[in-house]
Amino acid sequence: MNQHTDAAESANALTPLTLLGSKSLRLFSEMGAMFLFCLHAMRLIFSSWGQFPKIIRQIYFIGVKSVTVIALIGLFTGMVMGMQLYFALSLFGADGFLGTGVALSMVRELAPVLTAIMVTGRAGSAMTAEIGVMRISEQIDALEIMGINPMSYLVSPKMAASIISFPILTSLFNLIALFGGWLTGVLLLGANEGVYFYRVQQSLEWDDISGGFLKALVFGVVVCTVSCYQGYFTHLRRDAVGPEGVSQATTHAVVMSCVLILMSDYVLTSLLW
Amino acid sequence: MPGKRHDIRLTNLAVGYGGTPVVSDVNVTLPGGKITVILGGSGCGKSTLIKHILRLHDPLSGAIHIGPHNIMELTRRQWACLKLRLGLLFQDGALLGSLTLGDNVALPLREHTRLKPREAYELAVSKLALVGLEKFAHLYPNQLSGGMRKRAGLARAMVMDPAVLFCDEPTSGLDPINSAELDQLLLELKERFDITVVVVSHDLASMRTIADHVVVLGEGRVLFDGSRDELEATRDDYLRRFLDRLAQERTAPRLSTSRLDPSLLKMDCSELWEQVQE
Ligand SMILES: Nc1ncnc2c1ncn2[C@@H]1O[C@H](COP(=O)(O)OP(=O)(O)OP(=O)(O)O)[C@@H](O)[C@H]1O
Ligand SMILES: [Mg+2]
Repeated sequence: MNQHTDAAESANALTPLTLLGSKSLRLFSEMGAMFLFCLHAMRLIFSSWGQFPKIIRQIYFIGVKSVTVIALIGLFTGMVMGMQLYFALSLFGADGFLGTGVALSMVRELAPVLTAIMVTGRAGSAMTAEIGVMRISEQIDALEIMGINPMSYLVSPKMAASIISFPILTSLFNLIALFGGWLTGVLLLGANEGVYFYRVQQSLEWDDISGGFLKALVFGVVVCTVSCYQGYFTHLRRDAVGPEGVSQATTHAVVMSCVLILMSDYVLTSLLW
Repeated sequence: MPGKRHDIRLTNLAVGYGGTPVVSDVNVTLPGGKITVILGGSGCGKSTLIKHILRLHDPLSGAIHIGPHNIMELTRRQWACLKLRLGLLFQDGALLGSLTLGDNVALPLREHTRLKPREAYELAVSKLALVGLEKFAHLYPNQLSGGMRKRAGLARAMVMDPAVLFCDEPTSGLDPINSAELDQLLLELKERFDITVVVVSHDLASMRTIADHVVVLGEGRVLFDGSRDELEATRDDYLRRFLDRLAQERTAPRLSTSRLDPSLLKMDCSELWEQVQE
């Protein structure tokens, strides 16, 4: 996975056009490398029964420990949406559609995206830092010498745990956000309770739910791939080495994850609905 | 002749990073069932050579044979099997920071054997006992001293009963008693189990106790390859200085140029400094 080519180095002295070209080439080759990295990690999820306890431990770290923050974010997002939509809709006397607005915006967009971004900050950065530190302190080499595939020992359990945790966290977000919308819209501002829940139930199609799940799944894979990849290849970075390399890798992983989450969100949305 | 099987032959080997050789023209046979000590100045490429022999990096050119196998030509599966019979103690231990010592040593057993977790742990503790660390099995690597980490690294390298054991400076950072015990341990391993041991070391006393065969690296090549007696009898200038622990001869004294001028300090400490000097 040699994303740093010598051609790119000499290109710095050339015209802006070649610079742009070399940058995009490097970006594309890095994307390709990450895709292969992801496939490799997924294949190794099923390499042995020994993966099972590691996956459970990662689910605890990525999933269970994110519950509080997801609940808080979900609650306040729901409350804000309940309030804003109520104001907007009541301008047209359409406050009966509050439930529809909250439910659709949450289930289709906000829950998967916000969950993924929060988990990137909480767990994705930690994955990069953990793997990066192991790389620069030769712990990954040590695994290799012991005949333990570092991909299957370090990356695959995280991948499996992300695939399992992201959709569950997203549904939790949905649930709490709908409750938050009820808190402000109904309890505080006085929209009709029965209508709110009736609209929630009536507006949500199966396609919305499954689309939301699919997004969560994709985001889980994206976040895990980017975070683990950046950590795993910390030693090949050219912008920094050692501890600074790990910090650069972590920053890079978070930024790249967020950008990729929103980009893939756009693609998925336009394909799904 | 069982020992013969694990000879390690390096032919025209060049090792290095990113295309730049660190050591080249290595034509050496590390004899099976013996202890080979690799000597050489700091930074001359001893660790690099060992890591390349274990294929952590690909050599720039040349071939590496372990027993009859050219390891560069083995299939992935064959190499995975062979690797289980090779152990490496890293220069700074390289224990996994998130596992306790016991779990670190038990890890290869858990991954590669059908032992129950409990049994793997007990076996790991018995290996830790070989290096005197059985009481520390529940501690994490960052709760240990450098020398303890190194000994734990050795226990981990030995846990799969390797046929070839590589040790990168096993005795550096250890007190004389622990060093001597480690030397005894290596000798016992060689005698009892007929394993091949390759030790990187700066420790001349230890070299004189354990070495059957010595390789000296320097100036990017192999300076010496032969038995310990041949080394002791050498007349080569560099090797003699190395063996007799003599500093390089210099024409000019060197301390005068590198003294720090106190007037350059940002903080004015001259008064206090003078008091301390007196
Ligand atoms: N990852 C690396 N990338 C590039 N160069 C390296 C790398 N690791 C080591 N080197 C270089 O290779 C040379 C040999 O390093 P090595 O660690 O093998 O020395 P050594 O003989 O083990 O020294 P010591 O006795 O101090 O451990 C050094 O000049 C070092 O700068
Ligand atoms: Mg070294």
